[in-house]
Amino acid sequence: MITLQTYLTLSAILFAIGIIGIIINRKNIIIILMCTELILLAVNFNFVAFSYFNQDYKGQIFVFFILTVAAAEAAIGLAILVALYRNNKSIDVENLTALKE
Amino acid sequence: MITEIIFYTFSSILICAALGVVFFRNPVYSAVSLILSFITSAFLWFLLESEFLALILILVYVGAVMVLFLFVIMMLNINEQKTNSRFNTIAPLALSIGLVVLIEMITLIWLKSNQFTETAVIISAPSSENNTLELGKLLFSEYIYPFEIAGFILLLGIIISISLTLRTKKGKKTQIISKQIDIDPSKRVQLVDLERGNN
Repeated sequence: MITLQTYLTLSAILFAIGIIGIIINRKNIIIILMCTELILLAVNFNFVAFSYFNQDYKGQIFVFFILTVAAAEAAIGLAILVALYRNNKSIDVENLTALKE
Repeated sequence: MITEIIFYTFSSILICAALGVVFFRNPVYSAVSLILSFITSAFLWFLLESEFLALILILVYVGAVMVLFLFVIMMLNINEQKTNSRFNTIAPLALSIGLVVLIEMITLIWLKSNQFTETAVIISAPSSENNTLELGKLLFSEYIYPFEIAGFILLLGIIISISLTLRTKKGKKTQIISKQIDIDPSKRVQLVDLERGNN
């Protein structure tokens, strides 16, 4: 018998892994973007699980919109990354100090 | 029984793939591991009877977004991360923060479990035959304005990402459309009045 709590725990584990990945990978913005996708996947997991266990389709509608916005976000983030690499020749987070000076 | 076996197998694969995204040194391996985690979670969504979203996850994420990620990784020519002291110094901090977040969420989920079980009644028979049909009915009636806003967000995504990455070389001969439109036709053609029969 798989309950709602099992699904929520799975999604909590995914969320925590995403957060660890964002903190740990200071060298590479691409990995940070991927970890953002992982966190969004965990959120979507919550929505789908609640939608199933309450028999309500509105949660799935929300997942649909989250997927749309996340796809646009990934595209824009990667475009910013390409522009950044063109100017800096590096995608290291620690080199992004242009606004500091 | 078979559902439990499928669920636990797939969720352990999902967690291993998610760990792979974080801990692989090569970004290509991370991207492939993220693809694996998307596909596995799509299978888990099949268990939750949301077939349409599971297929959309595979089509949109694996088919479009992850291919975009792989293209960018290929284009940028990034060297593999080297094991440096920085990674090791920040790892205990990151792990402890992640563990705290995880423990907080799990205690909240399991302590408040009686609240969930009041509403969470598992209905064995699906409420509808067709998941896609039900989603479509909701999406095009009650959620039509959010749907249009989502379309507009996608249009914005296209325009922004093209305008960010577009580069024009100096000295390249191209049409400048705004100049072409702004041209005054009366200045372009000069009408000359020829005198007749003067030769």
